[in-house]
Amino acid sequence: MSPLVHGLLYGAVVGSVLLTATAWGVWVERKLGARIHTRLGPTMVGPAGLLQPLADALKLLQKETIIPRDADRTLFRIAPPFMAIFSLATAAVVPLAPDLVAADLDVGVLYVLAVSGLMLFPVWVSGWASNNKYALLGAMRAIAQGVSYEVPLVLSALVPVVLAGSMSLSDIVAYQVEHGWFVAWPPGPGLVAFVIFFVASLAEANRIPFDIPEAESELVAGVTTEYSGMKFGFFYLAEYLHTLVSSAVASVLFLGGWHGPFSDGLHWLVLKTLVLFLFVIQLRWTLVRFRADQLMTLAWKWLVPVSLVALMAAAVAVLIMSGGA
Amino acid sequence: MGYFLDTARALGVTIRNAFRKPVTVEYPKVKRERAERYRASFALLHDEHGEELCIGCLACERICPSEIITVEPGPKVESPVTGKKRGTVKNLTLDLNACIYCELCVQVCPTDAIVMVREPERPGYSREELFLSMERLYENEKHKPAAWATATKLVDMQDPKRSAPAPAEREPAGTTAAKAAEAKEGEAP
Repeated sequence: MSPLVHGLLYGAVVGSVLLTATAWGVWVERKLGARIHTRLGPTMVGPAGLLQPLADALKLLQKETIIPRDADRTLFRIAPPFMAIFSLATAAVVPLAPDLVAADLDVGVLYVLAVSGLMLFPVWVSGWASNNKYALLGAMRAIAQGVSYEVPLVLSALVPVVLAGSMSLSDIVAYQVEHGWFVAWPPGPGLVAFVIFFVASLAEANRIPFDIPEAESELVAGVTTEYSGMKFGFFYLAEYLHTLVSSAVASVLFLGGWHGPFSDGLHWLVLKTLVLFLFVIQLRWTLVRFRADQLMTLAWKWLVPVSLVALMAAAVAVLIMSGGA
Repeated sequence: MGYFLDTARALGVTIRNAFRKPVTVEYPKVKRERAERYRASFALLHDEHGEELCIGCLACERICPSEIITVEPGPKVESPVTGKKRGTVKNLTLDLNACIYCELCVQVCPTDAIVMVREPERPGYSREELFLSMERLYENEKHKPAAWATATKLVDMQDPKRSAPAPAEREPAGTTAAKAAEAKEGEAP
């Protein structure tokens, strides 16, 4: 099969499965959040509210798209689709099963980090194009936060790269299948890097407790203030997509991907991603928002130095394991 | 370090909560037991001889903060029971759409004609259902429990001075007893 056909075929399958999973991820989030509040959550649409995502999507599709009079109409229109595209594009290199990956890039980790870094641009573009002070402030905060958290994210993602000696996600999983998951072996750097990667990707996806760019109590809805209908739906979708894909990437980098006891396969990756995703949701309903300065303190004074130390420890571990020094 | 410990504890709380039975009930399908003295609607009453108590004095219409009571007083007629002249009411309507359930109309009624009752349940499914015509107010009389609060009972409970004898029947001003009473009132907070 030519790479192009392979990419199109697998991309279509992975993309549609992921979008569907995202829709029900919203349901899981609402239902779990409700149970944490000892509420019921969605119950009316379908059994246990399972069709709620469909109803939400239909509602958003039917709504009128309102573009503010003084907005930059072109930029305003193109920003939301790019949000969804960039967050979906990350999934292309995630190895879902031993031979199930849309695009097995040699530089998979670099690609993941680059594309999720690109997600900041539509945020800034939409904030600028909205011509709204809340949207602009939200976008500026998102940029500041994204730039800060990109650094520990990259540094912690480099730990598995150093340990496995490859930037391809498939190779990283293969190495973990052979030598044990990075979160456990070699002890230390992998675990620390996993925690930092998790926290930094929470901040990248603007999830609570790092949702300062869309802090409701201060900025109405941040960059999405002026968006309505399906354009808002794209932002909503992108947030959950990014959370889901980040969970999958974290599972691949640190938790052994599709590797697991009894039998390797897609189900292990799905399980690990789901556990991480549920933990993200639980964090959202547990913690309160950081202040902007606390956020910066956490990134630059804690995560960056600690991830540098973890990176060095990983390098030392590789040196020892290879019998050098 | 404290932050992480607190976060772990908070995560424990949310996990525990997630497995608790939800407090919410789906209202129209499942109905909670309502308190015995829950007040949901209004009723107009008859006295023990079957005569309408309302005399059309407009007190409830005047005091209503959301101005939802409309009273059309009727002509003065001779009461078939007592033989005395009394006021009547031609029409009295109460629009629950805007009612704030303050019960002021009940408290000012000089003849204990209007009371609040536990049944029928509110809210309704249309605006018309929330509009109480005089027929519906009299129909609600059947829901009145025997020990329900009327203006007289409420005044006894909340403002015992008002249910005391009228000022004319009291001792004239300037006597020692009245002075003592006034002094006492001044001290009261």
